[in-house]
Amino acid sequence: MNSFLTAFFAGTSQGAIYALVSLGLVLVWRGAGVVNFAQMGQAMFTTYIASQLIQNEYSYWSAFVIALISGALLGALVDLGIMRPLSSRKNSQLLNSQSMRTTVPVIASLGILGVLKALAGIFWAGEERGFPAPVPTTGLRLGNSDLAITGFDLFVIGVVFLALVLTTIFFTRTGMGLAMRASALNPEVTRLSGIRVGSVRTLSWAISGTASSLAGLLVTPKTNLSPNTLDLLLIIGFTAAVVGGLTSLAGSVLGGFILGYVIAFVNVYSAPENVFLAILIFLLLALFLRPQGILGSKEVRRV
Amino acid sequence: MSKVKTHKVIGFRSTRLAIIFFVFILLLSMKFGPYNQFQLANIATLLIAVLSITLLTGASGQISLGQGAIMAVGGYSAALLVTRLEISMWLAFVLAIFVSALFGLFLGLAAARLSGPYLAGTTLVMALAIPSIAIRFDSFFSGDIGFSVDYGYPPDWLTNLLGEITIEEWSLYVALPFAALSLFAVLNLSNTRSGRTWRAVRDNEVAASLAGINIARTKIIVFVCSSALAGLAGAIYGFRGLVAPSVYPTDLSLLLLTAAVIGGLRSIGGAIFGTFVIVFLPDVIERVTKFLELPETISIYLPALMIGLLLLLTVILNPRGSAGALEHIRHRHKH
Amino acid sequence: MLKVANLVTEFASIKALNDISFQAKPGRITTVIGANGAGKSTLLRTISGLERPTSGSIKWFDEELTDKSVEAIVRSGVAQVPEGHAVISQLSVAENIELGGLFRKRQARGDLEIATKEVYELFPILFERRREPAGSLSGGERQMLAISRALVARPKLLLLDEPSLGLAPLISAQIISIVDQLCKSTGLTVLLVEQNANTALAVADHGILLALGKVVADLPAKELIADSALRAAYLGY
Repeated sequence: MNSFLTAFFAGTSQGAIYALVSLGLVLVWRGAGVVNFAQMGQAMFTTYIASQLIQNEYSYWSAFVIALISGALLGALVDLGIMRPLSSRKNSQLLNSQSMRTTVPVIASLGILGVLKALAGIFWAGEERGFPAPVPTTGLRLGNSDLAITGFDLFVIGVVFLALVLTTIFFTRTGMGLAMRASALNPEVTRLSGIRVGSVRTLSWAISGTASSLAGLLVTPKTNLSPNTLDLLLIIGFTAAVVGGLTSLAGSVLGGFILGYVIAFVNVYSAPENVFLAILIFLLLALFLRPQGILGSKEVRRV
Repeated sequence: MSKVKTHKVIGFRSTRLAIIFFVFILLLSMKFGPYNQFQLANIATLLIAVLSITLLTGASGQISLGQGAIMAVGGYSAALLVTRLEISMWLAFVLAIFVSALFGLFLGLAAARLSGPYLAGTTLVMALAIPSIAIRFDSFFSGDIGFSVDYGYPPDWLTNLLGEITIEEWSLYVALPFAALSLFAVLNLSNTRSGRTWRAVRDNEVAASLAGINIARTKIIVFVCSSALAGLAGAIYGFRGLVAPSVYPTDLSLLLLTAAVIGGLRSIGGAIFGTFVIVFLPDVIERVTKFLELPETISIYLPALMIGLLLLLTVILNPRGSAGALEHIRHRHKH
Repeated sequence: MLKVANLVTEFASIKALNDISFQAKPGRITTVIGANGAGKSTLLRTISGLERPTSGSIKWFDEELTDKSVEAIVRSGVAQVPEGHAVISQLSVAENIELGGLFRKRQARGDLEIATKEVYELFPILFERRREPAGSLSGGERQMLAISRALVARPKLLLLDEPSLGLAPLISAQIISIVDQLCKSTGLTVLLVEQNANTALAVADHGILLALGKVVADLPAKELIADSALRAAYLGY
């Protein structure tokens, strides 16, 4: 029973982080038609920024906020500096192949990932370092018995919950959120409504950058920070996004939690070295059994 | 009649190109010292893997981020055959091709349903998961330690012919014939009717299927051929000394993709150029950093930085790579 | 006043529009008719900025539209209702309408509310179904919604691309008569593309007949209806 609770709580707090990563991927996929493999590279970079600030005696919370803002800026920069020139007229003429047009941004994102990792190595010497948590990472106690959850787990769940509520309000209650949904669904009708689709796309890159930056801040107190630590998070986030259908925001969040539980239970009841295999099997199952995702629309997706 | 004729002409052309490549590398190796000869052997080996990407992308427009994992399949198959069954290395290489082709068949069955980002992500997950299998079933795959395997000694007739052969030379002599053969095979494949079918699928799936092409079958065949090449490369690559998870990391998959992209994803000449770049660039950078006396933190990460930048510049300036850029310039001169 | 002069639009060096010139007057319906592939939709898409012309000019009063983005063209008072009752089916009816006026929400919130109320009065069925997804509407209702989305932007020039396509004759007649009323009451300039020449010429003031990307007739609608030789040659009846 105790190991069940351990797995359950670990699954919830890790799943919350995966949900953020998956949400970030889906935002950019819907908004710009790109699966951004550099996403967690961006998050790694902004977490290093926060780490540097904390080293320079800034408070945790100011570093936290600055990291989120840099996440947004970095996301916007990737779009404006690289993705937008890629989709320029000249380049689409050069690529007279449908599949190449979706492949080229993927390659670009891998290049960005490489550059960010190398830069982080150059700036911060690349060695693994710890990253602080604002609340204790030791297990909570109730009376005399240890609980299977730490204060930091609760903090993670709380922060992610707040972020998800804010995102939902943004998408369903604001004009900008409507514009983002509309341009993801039908860019032509949205442009004909006078909305600057290019700016909306940059905004989705920025929001995605913020979400993944938050994921980086929340995961590194447990995993430590190095240029490569967040790679695994990308793989898990991608799998979660596919499980959720890749086009549904709610599905991506649900997918994140599902992956959280799958990984936590494999860790507790099986062995940690089975995790990669479990992810691969889970991904393949999701692709074959429910290609439209758990919350995906009924229309057949062209994968 | 005319079709048969063109086929023959193309066959002749690809034979010639493969021989030119073979002789060129051989001549180069005579000018080089042992270290650079070893690098030439690496080029020959990795070229096979890069060609597997060129074939896959040139034919289907998709990218695989998991070619390193398929190389691992080839490497482990050959290593297991040699250490457990004690068969000859050459036979093991040939069997490794078949095992990876079979693996490619399964991958193709899955990939026929996937496109663009789905395939890229799935193969990336595969790149991480496949080496972890070796650790999971460590009694069979001998875990992190892996298998120590090597090219053995050159046969007597070759030493009689050439005199003393160093280890570096021998590794080049093992890899180079396979590289030339792969080059020949890929050049031929892309010029035959199936090559044209593949390009049609890449450029417009809907149009291709309306023209009566079986898209799924075409994609599966492409995956089988591409995986066979990657598996062969993996076997030769592993037999340099060690077949273990650390030999086939995710970074290897990304490095191979980089080589294919900077050369030009559709161009076989580009694949050769890209392979030279990824093998020699780190050395060139090291010399520059030593000359400039840059601090260690920079010199360690500079190769990765340059390769990332090269990848980005390629797709921004000309997504068809250096081969595409050359074509563009030639095209302009004609007009 | 819309003035199109020497307009050329090419797709892979094939001229879809070949030297088109005409004018559309305010408060009037100008209809563009022609067979399939004559270039009617390309003409509208070029005016709204979705396609870039190779040469020529499109003047909306004093503004040159050819070098502007789609978004900027919409903001200068040109709204297009694209072919095939284009609405966003996953969004609700109300959200589709809101989308149309979103770009001027900050400057003209009050007028936006009035404009929204007006389109609901024009098409009461949309008000009834405002919370339902646009995908659940019938073809005619979708067309009403697509027009409403364009109208809340308070355009001065409305580009309608085959509004009667796939609709029952009664419903398409109803929609076109509403457009006609709007045009007369508000001074809206309408450019109406139709394959069904009779429906279009019945309400239009002026007709432009396109064939293979060229203007073959530019006449008052009444004269165009009367010219049976032209109709037989270019429309086949």
